[in-house]
Amino acid sequence: MSYMKTTLTGYAAYRGREGHWAFLLHRITGLGVVLFLAIHIVDTSFVYFAPQLYVDVINVYRSTIFGLGEIALVFCLFFHGVNGLRIAYLDLFAPKDWTIDKTRRSMLVALGISLVLWVPSAGWMLFNLLRHNYGLFGG
Amino acid sequence: MEIKLRVFRFNPEKDAKPHFDTFIMDVDPNDRVLDLLEYVKADFDSTLALRRSCAHGVCGSDAMRINGRNYLACKVLVKNLKSDTITVEPLLGLRVIKDLIVDMGPFFENFRSVLPYLINDDPLPADGRERLQSPEQRERFEDTTKCILCAACTTSCPSFWADERYVGPAAIVNAHRFIFDSRDTAAAKRLEILNQQIGVWRCRTAFNCTEACPRDIHITTAIAEVKKAINTGKLD
Ligand code: SF4
Ligand code: FES
Repeated sequence: MSYMKTTLTGYAAYRGREGHWAFLLHRITGLGVVLFLAIHIVDTSFVYFAPQLYVDVINVYRSTIFGLGEIALVFCLFFHGVNGLRIAYLDLFAPKDWTIDKTRRSMLVALGISLVLWVPSAGWMLFNLLRHNYGLFGG
Repeated sequence: MEIKLRVFRFNPEKDAKPHFDTFIMDVDPNDRVLDLLEYVKADFDSTLALRRSCAHGVCGSDAMRINGRNYLACKVLVKNLKSDTITVEPLLGLRVIKDLIVDMGPFFENFRSVLPYLINDDPLPADGRERLQSPEQRERFEDTTKCILCAACTTSCPSFWADERYVGPAAIVNAHRFIFDSRDTAAAKRLEILNQQIGVWRCRTAFNCTEACPRDIHITTAIAEVKKAINTGKLD
C-alpha cells in the first residue's frame, strides 16, 4: 500500500467537514501560489538570459487564459493568507477555541473574508481584461 | 425500516481486490451499526471479520469508517446516520488484514514512542504514601485521560495517511495526558520526541480527529497546547 495512494484515496474517501475542506483548499491554493511563483521566477530570468523570449512571455501574460489564471491566483493568495492567519491565531493564541462549533464557523468566516476581498479585485481584473483584450468598455 | 447495508470485504488469501457485499435488511432505527454487522454474521455470512468487544463504547476496538467518516460502530445509531444506505469500510491508512480488521501495529508503535506512562523516580513523599495533586492540577489533563485508543482520530488524519510514521493525534493526546500531569517528571523528554519532524508539526489542523473522537476529546486543542509548550518551554 503506497502512501501516495492512501493519501489521495483518503482525500476522496473520507467525509470530513469544514476543517477538512479548509485543509484541502489551503493545499490547493498553496500549490497555486507556488506554481505561479515558479513560473514568475523563470520568466523574469529571461530578461537576463533571453530578452527576446521575455517579450514573448509578456504577450502570453496578456492572453485571456492567463488573465483568468491570474484572477484565480488572487483568490489563492487571499484564501491562503486569511486561512493561514486563522490557523496561526487559534494554534498560537487560542488553543481552547479549537472546538467543533468554533472551528466550523471560523472556516466559513475565513472563506467569507477571502471572497469579500476577492470579488472586487476579480471584478476589476475582469473589467481590464475585457477592455484590453476585447475592446469592451471603450478599451 | 428497510436499509441497504454495504460492507467492505477483502480476504487476502482469496481476493485480488476488495469488493462490497450488499445486504438488504429490516432494522430498528435505534439499532446500532454494530448490531447490523452482528445480524450479518448471524444470518447472512458468518465469515465477516470485524473487531469488537465491549459493545458499549469503552474498549475502542470497533472504530471503522461508516458512510465515509470514522465512528465506533457500537456508538452510532442507524437513525443518526440519516440515510437508508449504510456503507461500512475499514479505517484508512492502516493495512487491511481481513474485511473490517486493520493492522493496528503502526498505530500502537506510535503510541508507545511518546512514553505514555507515568515517569517519576523521585523518592516518595515523607509519609511514604501518595504524590498529592490539587483538583486544579488534576483538571489540567482531565480531557486527555478519556482516550480509549480506538484510532478513529489518527486514521482520519490526512498527515497520517501521507506518512504512518507521523505519531498522529492519539499518541499526542496520550503524551499530553502525562506532559501536563504535575506528578510526572518526563515532560521535557516527551516534548523533545514530539518536536521531531514526525511529531506535532505534522499536524495541519484539518480537524478530522476532533470531529471523529467518540470520547469528545478536544484533540486539536491538546495538540496546540503541546506545540505551545514546545515553543515556550513552559507547561501552563
Ligand atoms: S483521542 Fe479519541 S479518537 Fe483518538 S484514539 Fe483516543 S478515544 Fe479514539
Ligand atoms: S465494541 Fe468496545 S468500543 Fe465498540
